[in-house]
Amino acid sequence: MLNQKDIISTLQMVREENLDLRTVTVGINLTDCVSDDLATFKRKIYDKITRYAGKLVETCTRIERRYGIEVANKRISISPIGVVAAPFSSEQMVEIALTLDKAADELGIDFIGGFSAMVEKGMSSGDKALIDAIPQALTQSKRVCSSVNVASTRAGINMDAILRMGHVIKEAAELTAKDDGLAAAKLVVFANIPQDVPFMAGAYLGIGEADAVVSVGVSGPGVVKAALERALAEDDNMDLSRAADVIKQTAARLTRAGELVGREVAQTLGLPFGIVDLSLAPTPNKNDSVGEIFEAIGLPAIGAPGSTAFLAMLNDAVKKGGAFASSHVGGLSGAFIPVCEDLSIAESARNGTLSLEKLEAMTAVCSVGLDMVALPGDTSAEMLSAIIADEMAIGVINKKTTAARLIPAPGKKAGDHVLFGGLLGEGPVMAVNLGSQENRFVRLGGRIPAPIQSLVN
Amino acid sequence: MNKVLISVLGSDQPGIMAAVAKVIQQRHGNIENLSQTLLENVFGALLLASIPDSETPADLQQAIETACDKMGLFINVHAWDERTTDWQKQKPEVQPYIITCIGPDRQGLVAEVAGALFTHGVNITNIQAIFKGGKNPMDNLMVFEIDVPRATVMDDLRDALNGISQRLDLEISVQHRKIFESVSNILN
Repeated sequence: MLNQKDIISTLQMVREENLDLRTVTVGINLTDCVSDDLATFKRKIYDKITRYAGKLVETCTRIERRYGIEVANKRISISPIGVVAAPFSSEQMVEIALTLDKAADELGIDFIGGFSAMVEKGMSSGDKALIDAIPQALTQSKRVCSSVNVASTRAGINMDAILRMGHVIKEAAELTAKDDGLAAAKLVVFANIPQDVPFMAGAYLGIGEADAVVSVGVSGPGVVKAALERALAEDDNMDLSRAADVIKQTAARLTRAGELVGREVAQTLGLPFGIVDLSLAPTPNKNDSVGEIFEAIGLPAIGAPGSTAFLAMLNDAVKKGGAFASSHVGGLSGAFIPVCEDLSIAESARNGTLSLEKLEAMTAVCSVGLDMVALPGDTSAEMLSAIIADEMAIGVINKKTTAARLIPAPGKKAGDHVLFGGLLGEGPVMAVNLGSQENRFVRLGGRIPAPIQSLVN
Repeated sequence: MNKVLISVLGSDQPGIMAAVAKVIQQRHGNIENLSQTLLENVFGALLLASIPDSETPADLQQAIETACDKMGLFINVHAWDERTTDWQKQKPEVQPYIITCIGPDRQGLVAEVAGALFTHGVNITNIQAIFKGGKNPMDNLMVFEIDVPRATVMDDLRDALNGISQRLDLEISVQHRKIFESVSNILN
């Protein structure tokens, strides 16, 4: 017999607090599809993707009914195209992106990630062709997501790649000017990218992974917020130690739900189960916001002094709860703070509580980085590169993942509104403290050496 | 030794189990299994006991009634020959599900849901009601724990329950039991 409290708490999480499986992502290894003939390569990747993920959507639909938990998105991650399509030119890379888009369309999934390159130490010809192709590929396709890893704690920071990415982002945004630079919202620049992220736009299947693997991304900022509110209402003397416990326990519950569904999808598809990525990933809906958790704990709003301290605690407690509940926690696992995908964070950015500089400080303790940040359209490519370099340095020195998903919205200035639609949301254009658009530092290029691992002060 | 099934119902108070068990012990019987529950202030117990060949269910019942004279209980003792129903004899392979009906109490709720379950070959293993009143829908909850045989088509069962949910203006959900267990039991 189940006890009443367990029944009610599970029902509440699903009915009222927006617990969902943000994504079930099938990772598909494309290394066995290599060919130097474009038509052959395209056919092989199309066939392999549609074969392995052919039943993904119907399987998820059946399992979500069985457990009464929504699987919000079904996605695919693939081996980095910069590696498996190395012989091809940038024009051919665009065609490959369109093949991926067609496969995604055929399967009825929402995103396919892995139009990616790992260039933290240097750029091969395949990586270069891929990076050159990104603006057109993301403009012409609907569902393809791209990521480029430009730095790691072991390799240092590839400043040549960062300088190039500033231009790529700028070009991608300008090609999709009528959609406020939408293409740039599907492109993430990373330091220390994990090999098994199921979340977009950074999902790709690492080289150390199996032929195919099912991973899940669980979310539920609304559940954490509600748990904290309940604990505060029940206990006048609740302090932050107790709050950390509440977050940990909630994270553990979310992780368990995710692992249950993920394993069942994997079993049904006949594929191994990879990892649960427990990330508080908001959607642009009320009660599904990371920013609202900050208000629930007593901060005036996300971005106000105290926000970095609470975010550090939140991120850590989420990781601890997740790691306790499942032995296969991976991906990013922590709290995301994407500006345009979160109603409350967007509001803080709009009314000035959250500046770009404070956001950058907070990324030192969150699980990703400068995520879904719309910037004025006249921000130069060099300035974008400089912002990315700062963000990468935070990740490299702190031995964590950081990322930058920056959208220089064409024709927009600070305070204007941008709208990307769907999960990508909407929000204000944030002001950049420019000084000058000139930036000789990033033009110097070269590599920032990997940091020393001793003398840790 | 013969088996008997003893039921004891009445207002909850200290001493009920003490009195019943003492009579069984004095008459050389043995309690083999028992379950006790409280519904609001109502006490209910079900005991499976073995009694000597010299004892009869009627005598035992009278003895317990005499011992509990002032407690105002309803006591019944039946001979029990471990008879089994068809369900138990040929129990099909089942999957455990939880049905939750959310919304204010409605006349006929249990009858309608239980009826639909029976029609679809489903066995109820437990029912609990959580009616606290008030406007919070989660304070007005009816929970059915059920075993669904493999032969039952889940979509048909869901359709039948959807019909009831519309007729009675309730929110009815059907979820596999595992989701409640995984979310609730962190250590297992």
